[in-house]
Amino acid sequence: MKDDVVPIAKPSILLREEFDDWAVLFSTDSGEAYGINPVSVFIWKRLDGERTIDGLVEELIANCDDAPDDAGGQVLTFVNELLAKGFAGYEVDGR
Amino acid sequence: MRVMSTPRLLDVEITSKCNLRCKYCYHFNSAGETKEDIETEEWLRFFEELKQCVVMEVCLGGGEPFLRDDLKEILSSLARNQIRFSIMSNGTLITDEIAAFIAASKRCNYVQVSIDGSIPITHDEMRGKGNFSRAINGLKTLLRHGITATVRVTIHKGNVYDLEGIAELLLEEIGLNSFSTNSASYMGLCRRNAEQIMLTPKERSLAMVSLVKLEKKYNGRISAQAGPLADGKIWLEMERARKEGLLRLPGRGYLSACGAVFGKLAVRADGVMIPCIQLSNIELGKINKDSLVKVWQEHPELLKIRGRRSVHLSSFEFCEGCDYIPYCTGNCPALASNILGKVNHPSPDACLRRFLQEGGVLPENI
Repeated sequence: MKDDVVPIAKPSILLREEFDDWAVLFSTDSGEAYGINPVSVFIWKRLDGERTIDGLVEELIANCDDAPDDAGGQVLTFVNELLAKGFAGYEVDGR
Repeated sequence: MRVMSTPRLLDVEITSKCNLRCKYCYHFNSAGETKEDIETEEWLRFFEELKQCVVMEVCLGGGEPFLRDDLKEILSSLARNQIRFSIMSNGTLITDEIAAFIAASKRCNYVQVSIDGSIPITHDEMRGKGNFSRAINGLKTLLRHGITATVRVTIHKGNVYDLEGIAELLLEEIGLNSFSTNSASYMGLCRRNAEQIMLTPKERSLAMVSLVKLEKKYNGRISAQAGPLADGKIWLEMERARKEGLLRLPGRGYLSACGAVFGKLAVRADGVMIPCIQLSNIELGKINKDSLVKVWQEHPELLKIRGRRSVHLSSFEFCEGCDYIPYCTGNCPALASNILGKVNHPSPDACLRRFLQEGGVLPENI
């Protein structure tokens, strides 16, 4: 996936935020659930069809005191997982 | 055990009415048997609150959910609010029309039908004449429409010798992937008919042996969270641990059996929130009047039930001198409540020591 594509969360996927920073993404279409960490929650909330992967990485680094060294790689891995699960897609006409 | 920020799942009794009067029904003759069902609009409003709380699933029960004239409206509202649903039914009122509607919603996790026999006599003895064929028709209708259908078999005196036939019917003839079992418990109408319905220790032993064998024969396609199959597995594990002299089993030795109140809540047909459909006498608040989040996170009765996991079994006179304490969970709080009137107490029904003292035999020893 190119870094300049614009991923967008599917509206049928819900985010449940639990205590202790853990969270679940849940597909109302299939019932499938997927546990995610706080960094992934941060990314998920910004998959609005406006931000590129590079933009997401920049925001993550700017907002997290303890952003991982390979933030770019982790963001890309997470978005790829979402795309593979059908939890996110690409914004085609959003830009 | 971590409590969720809001309940993940709600058991909702959308009606207190039923077209049947099964002799061991936990609903009737309990606080869950309410005089009035709340109006459609009340449910629809409540489902909007559930959406705000990101509740993932609502399990509709009762009473018989298919009795409600507004069932389609209720299901549409759940789908509109991005909530998946499941339905617990006696199967007798399921038509092609409603099955097609459920299938088209694409939000149904499953519909569970109660079937207690391989032939009419074993099913109808407790559920009423003609209801076996109606339930089977209902089940087949669901399957014909591609709906995930499950079956719950409630084991009692009248069908304990029919378990092999039931497995053959459901898994071979009808072709279900799996089914689950429990047993008639000392709740609701069963309290009035206990002698006629509930298994003796000898019958319970027989059911355990049959189910353990059938579970092996059908490669795990028979499951249980309660009843003889579940008891048999847990008790065998406890007995092995005792014989091997293990210090304890993980999480055991405390009232640690039920984790439901950490992720689930229930609502009676009159809109009263309760911890569990089988603890319908513990009133936590009213929907659309009391905040679901506030009830879930702060209600003292819920906190008390969650706190039972820190109560050691040795603190009960009932458990005094028992060798199984380090391996025991105390089992279902609702059964303890129904038998003794105490939620935070081990359930006498699930006591291995008592079962053996009364002549019960574990599967491997038969």
